[in-house]
Amino acid sequence: MAASEHGPYQGMWVFPDPRVMTRDMAGKIASMPRKFALALGIAGVLFALGIVGFVVRAIDDGFDDRAPWGYYLATFSFVFMVTSAAPIAAVAFRFTKSHWRRPLSRVSELFAVVGILNILLFIPMMFVLPSIGNPAGSVEGQLEVRRTIWFEGPIGAPHSWDLLGVIFLAVTAIAILWVSAMPDMAECRLTATGFRRWMYQRLAGHWYGTRRQWNAQKAGLALLGAFYFMLLIYVHFIISSDYAQSLIPGWKDSIFPVFYSLTGLQVALGTTLMILFIMRRWGGYQEYLGKSVFWSASKVQLGLTLLWAYHLFAFFITFWYGRLVIEQNIIKYLYIESYGGVFAANLLLSFIIPFAILLWNPVRRTAWGPALAGLSAALGALMFNIRIFVGGANSGDVYDEFMAVVPDAVYPDVWDVFMVVGGIGAAVFVYMLATKLLPLMSVWEVKEGAMYQRMAKFMRGEYLVLAKPE
Amino acid sequence: MQEGRPLPTRQINGELLRSILNSPKWFWIAFIVLGLIVLTAMSAAGLLINRGFGVTGMNRPVMWGFFITNFVFWIGISHAGVMLSAILRLSKAEWRRPATRAAEILTVFSLMTAMMMPLIHTGRPWRTLYWIYTIPFAPYDFARGIWPNVRSPLVWDPSAVYTYLTSSILFVLVALLPDFAVLRDRTTGMSSRIYGLLAMGWRGNPRQWKLQIIAGVLLSALILPVFVSVHSIVSWDFGMAVSVKSWHSTIFAPYFVVGAVHSGVSAVAFVMIILRYIYGWQNYIRHEHIDALGRLLVVVATGWFYFFVMEVIFGFYGREADEISVREFQFLRDPWNIWMMFFVGLTYFLPVSIWLSRSLRRNLWIMSIACISVNIGMWLERFLIIVPGLAQRSVFTFDWYTYRPSSVEWTIIIGTFALVAMLMLLIARVVPLIPLYDIKEAEILRTEIKIGRVTVPAVVRED
Repeated sequence: MAASEHGPYQGMWVFPDPRVMTRDMAGKIASMPRKFALALGIAGVLFALGIVGFVVRAIDDGFDDRAPWGYYLATFSFVFMVTSAAPIAAVAFRFTKSHWRRPLSRVSELFAVVGILNILLFIPMMFVLPSIGNPAGSVEGQLEVRRTIWFEGPIGAPHSWDLLGVIFLAVTAIAILWVSAMPDMAECRLTATGFRRWMYQRLAGHWYGTRRQWNAQKAGLALLGAFYFMLLIYVHFIISSDYAQSLIPGWKDSIFPVFYSLTGLQVALGTTLMILFIMRRWGGYQEYLGKSVFWSASKVQLGLTLLWAYHLFAFFITFWYGRLVIEQNIIKYLYIESYGGVFAANLLLSFIIPFAILLWNPVRRTAWGPALAGLSAALGALMFNIRIFVGGANSGDVYDEFMAVVPDAVYPDVWDVFMVVGGIGAAVFVYMLATKLLPLMSVWEVKEGAMYQRMAKFMRGEYLVLAKPE
Repeated sequence: MQEGRPLPTRQINGELLRSILNSPKWFWIAFIVLGLIVLTAMSAAGLLINRGFGVTGMNRPVMWGFFITNFVFWIGISHAGVMLSAILRLSKAEWRRPATRAAEILTVFSLMTAMMMPLIHTGRPWRTLYWIYTIPFAPYDFARGIWPNVRSPLVWDPSAVYTYLTSSILFVLVALLPDFAVLRDRTTGMSSRIYGLLAMGWRGNPRQWKLQIIAGVLLSALILPVFVSVHSIVSWDFGMAVSVKSWHSTIFAPYFVVGAVHSGVSAVAFVMIILRYIYGWQNYIRHEHIDALGRLLVVVATGWFYFFVMEVIFGFYGREADEISVREFQFLRDPWNIWMMFFVGLTYFLPVSIWLSRSLRRNLWIMSIACISVNIGMWLERFLIIVPGLAQRSVFTFDWYTYRPSSVEWTIIIGTFALVAMLMLLIARVVPLIPLYDIKEAEILRTEIKIGRVTVPAVVRED
């Protein structure tokens, strides 16, 4: 379809003026609109509620038993899943040289800042994880060494290795953000004042945009991106195994770490699109955010949604068809009986609704369609984490050879609700604060994109011409 | 600057139809040699049917050997067609253009070859009809209580594979319509009439182009679930069997699919290099295309390796004696451990270390070696999943048996490779293995953008 059929392209592609953009972005960082302040305040209040919930839970139950911390584990996993996977959107689409990714990159990279919160949230979790060796020693019907991915366990496993993984992931994500934002910070240092000016000079004072610096920056982003992706998969593997699968007796499921990462990628892209929609609708970024970003990202979103369902089915059919009691009990516990309702909500929100939305090309070509699918996937991922991590924390004796009796579901009390909304509120709060320090749009990438894309006459129509540099 | 120079339509027609309109001497020599190998394999299969399974190396408990390994391998190769054609078409990757047709046709032939393997493996191929159909007026084994079991993955298998084969043929035919019309106009006599029939009245008017494009996109989207389901179902032939511990794994379906894409795309890259060499298609299959396939393969191979690692880790994770004994077989016992090292090295470490270097990706000899290496490795992978799983030591010592393939099995396996190569050669005499219209479209859409003092290659996008 020729672009000229849409008047000024109906907002599909935008070609911002590079000179105006820098000034505009600097202005947006410095300003604090009323709506933004209100949202920040609400997120702050939720954060405070979360702290209250956590303190009450710690005083009431201590850290000896993991069962009361199920909702805390689920909240950590949800926040960690979204914020750790989000930078991959920038990394992956930069690798594939997709031009449409340019306005999306910084929004996803900025989640790196929430990595610090992830480290803080993770620390209490170290205390609730049972040891690998059975304290009761050799007992009939129980394992002397429980099933974990660490087997007999290197020193400090699993606690210290998990913590190290979460720290490394956060540090690498921040390194990617720093390298990526360097040219933008260098530009902003000229106009910013006060703390921001001091920060930009410290972080990007050496940047003058020489050819050598640009080459080093691009190579650095590629190397860090590749490393981050591998690290992400590894840390997702250890967190999902140590805090979910290995806590449920008899659950041996090789697809689960993959499924966990996939859920993370799906929800991370969905959340990024939700933020883009909010920026476009209420943040004054319409001139920088064409619908092509949503349209192109929604195809990936659709693919991830289908893959999510496929992996779920691959798990389910193997356990269901195998008809082994040990596996049937896992299905009853997490999918059909105890957490059957939560699973139904999970399936509806993570697959059925996003699929029903993203199936339609005209809906994918809007900004609201992919954002709505993203919201649904985010709620679905919350259900996923509640089902798996609350289930994991309340599955009986972790040293049992298998789950002989299917336990009942555990529903949240008021402190659990505080911790869930508080964890999410904290992540939103930290992210919003970060947007006041760094431009929410990767200025150099959008400017570069403006050079590589243009509308040109071709035969009888006007079409988009995309440059494909090596 | 763009790689490759602009090509006029006349030159494109002339060069890409060379494989059909000219008959080089080497074609007949290659055809006869491959035909002889296929005939030998057919004789071996005849011998097997006549004498029974005693002529193979299979015995209790290893009742699945080379034939099933080869079945899974060829199903894997068939995944190249959709991966390259449908996915890259939907994602509008420009570099897909010269690779799609060969990939699609390789899909069809490898599926046909794959389906022969279980038939041969039964030893009584005609009786396989009982698995699926109640044939009117045909004798049915009521006395033995043999009924088709629709809940068996062995019934899902042929259903999925034949659906994939049917849709792949449809996919190829829809894409071939404009090229059949070109051939209709450039041949005479009977050939022209046959091509005319196949072109189904194609005149290249705007409505026909629009319908052909819509059909192509729709088929691309519809064939994707079939593509995924085929190898998933093949994996469930193993995954549903709880008695063989190392097979009952939830990750098998995506692991098999990614592995299939890995071997299939490598096979297509190799076929493209061969086509470039034998037909002199340097203007069409350029280094940039092989380079792009190499980059894609780094991602696919690494994804595959991740699934492999998960499969192995969770094999040990369960701490179940039966499964540990199979893993011990695979990793510690001679000769399986050596094969295992070969398999991992050939499938991942050797090719990926080659593909990481741009200059090596653009060296066609080295790329050929990497692609062959992947396919040897992937064949071994299937073998190492099937045989050690079955050959594990059971409580009865008379079941302690190690599988050694017989010469009959070797002959049949080699014959399948010769068959696919021969069919590819034959089809190259009938249809262009690089889509003419796709290449012409690329020529129209290619352009350049000048940024400062640099000219950057660009493409016109239609949406």
